[in-house]
Amino acid sequence: MLDTHASTTPLVQMSDIHKHFGGIHAVEGVSVDLYPGEVVGVLGHNGAGKSCLMRMLAGAMLPTGGEIFVNGQRADLKTPQDAKRYGIETIYQTLALANHLDAAANLFLGRELKTRFGNLDETRMHAETKDALRQLNPNFKNLKDPVARLSGGQRQVIAIARAIYFQAKVLIMDEPTAALGPSETAMVADLTLRLKDEGIGIFLISHDMHDVFDLCDRVMVMNKGRNVGTFRIGDVDKDDILSLIIKGALPDGWVPRGRTS
Amino acid sequence: MGEEKNFVTAKQVTSGMRFLPTGSALHKLSALLTLLLLIAAFSFTSPAFLSVNNGLTVLLQTSVIGILAIGMTMVIITGGIDLSVGSVLALAGVVAGLVIKAGVPVAPAMALGVLAGAACGLVNGIVISKMRITPFVATLGMMMIARGVALQLTGAAPISRLGEAFGLLGNGTFFRIVEMQPNGFPKVIFPGIPYPAVLLVLTALLGAYLLQKRQIGRHIFSVGSNEEAARLSGVNVDRTKIWAYTASGALAGLAGMVLMSRLVTVQPNEGVMYELDAIAASVIGGASLMGGVGSISGSMIGAFIIGVLRNGLNMAGTSAFIQQIIIGIVVIGAVYIDQIRNRN
Repeated sequence: MLDTHASTTPLVQMSDIHKHFGGIHAVEGVSVDLYPGEVVGVLGHNGAGKSCLMRMLAGAMLPTGGEIFVNGQRADLKTPQDAKRYGIETIYQTLALANHLDAAANLFLGRELKTRFGNLDETRMHAETKDALRQLNPNFKNLKDPVARLSGGQRQVIAIARAIYFQAKVLIMDEPTAALGPSETAMVADLTLRLKDEGIGIFLISHDMHDVFDLCDRVMVMNKGRNVGTFRIGDVDKDDILSLIIKGALPDGWVPRGRTS
Repeated sequence: MGEEKNFVTAKQVTSGMRFLPTGSALHKLSALLTLLLLIAAFSFTSPAFLSVNNGLTVLLQTSVIGILAIGMTMVIITGGIDLSVGSVLALAGVVAGLVIKAGVPVAPAMALGVLAGAACGLVNGIVISKMRITPFVATLGMMMIARGVALQLTGAAPISRLGEAFGLLGNGTFFRIVEMQPNGFPKVIFPGIPYPAVLLVLTALLGAYLLQKRQIGRHIFSVGSNEEAARLSGVNVDRTKIWAYTASGALAGLAGMVLMSRLVTVQPNEGVMYELDAIAASVIGGASLMGGVGSISGSMIGAFIIGVLRNGLNMAGTSAFIQQIIIGIVVIGAVYIDQIRNRN
């Protein structure tokens, strides 16, 4: 399955990851890997454990068991700061924005630019934010408003800008287009492909089959906390994926699509 | 096409609103206006109100609440509350008084008092962030503990005869002008700017600088605005909270030094209910108990509204009971205005 990647080390390798909350097994023995310039779709219905798995990679949650390797090195991701140090950035479904702060304050939150006296360098942060946001949405205007007053699309743009501004090597996108209109969704799709071309590895959590088939190189389906299958996108069709999501298994008598044997 | 048109109208609306002060600025403006109205009203009811002497008295009286309100504002912006400042103020005073009695000079003794306050705040911060006790309960506990320790250490008796130097911080003034009259009696031409007022201004400037210009201030706002987002963005939420509560404790200690010095006596039962005045000052000044909103300048206006109300009502001969009622109404009114503002 991994023949084309055999020569490179995976960007991320999660191996035998477990997460238990008391008696509830949210993630059970899941292994997945991600190569540079690859988009891997993480699918499954609500509560299948996909967000949980991604939160462990983002350093927002500690795994109960299992190991994570980044560039072949074992990585201990105890906090979001740790993950960011490894170049793992996340766009959360909730966007994770501080509503009372403006776009620049949110973009640089936790990584503020400072003057040589150690004060916040507001001028530079605003200029950088302006550039970063204009790249994604040329119409972005209300830079100094608290983000609570911005539209869903604008807030999403800030969350995306924050993830890519700091030269991410691995990007986790949790439902990045859930709050967006059609034109903005297309923008995110373009952006995903552009980042992929730059060699960034992307985990994409999505419910939108369209997005999945347009953007992903591989898909990984989770069901009840387990990985029920990782496939190249050409080997499966929509019905196969739905069967995996719902039943946790492929349709009876399945053969890889697009292959003769 | 349709979308573009919507965009233009949205833009016009926002640019049209730029002429009006936005949310928190509006609140601060209305608080400032209230303060000026109060001053104008009291000037009518009592001729002695609008005098240099009385102005300086208000400054002196407000400085303790003002210093407490600076720390309280930082804590409230994180989305918390600090009910312990009144008791911590007393405990800090007791610590300073006891070490002076043990022979330590005044300046290091007062520094120790402030440190004792900071230590109480540090404990608050650790209990809140590491033991995950809600700020209300944690600081309520500290309120009782600090008061109990202060009373236990002193046997509930005041510590007096602390020396003249102990009274300097609370009673000293800058630019005091006294003229000897021919009859041999001194005449005070200008009573001087009290040290506590200068200390208040310096502390407020430092607090505003930390909140607005430094990373810690940015993090305090982010924690109060959306704690989970702050954590996911890489803000050390626990450290930020501990910092805020420690600052509040240290400022309570400082306020304790000012108050006890003014009395030149350490009273272990001083400062009861001061936390409520400090909270009221912050809230009147626009701080939101939900977190994420607040400013030092607003809280200073709030502290002076309370100070001017107390002073003016006293001069007008209003009883202390009626004063409580009026200040209570002002607090509710200020929060109500805030609610209306948020609904719009």
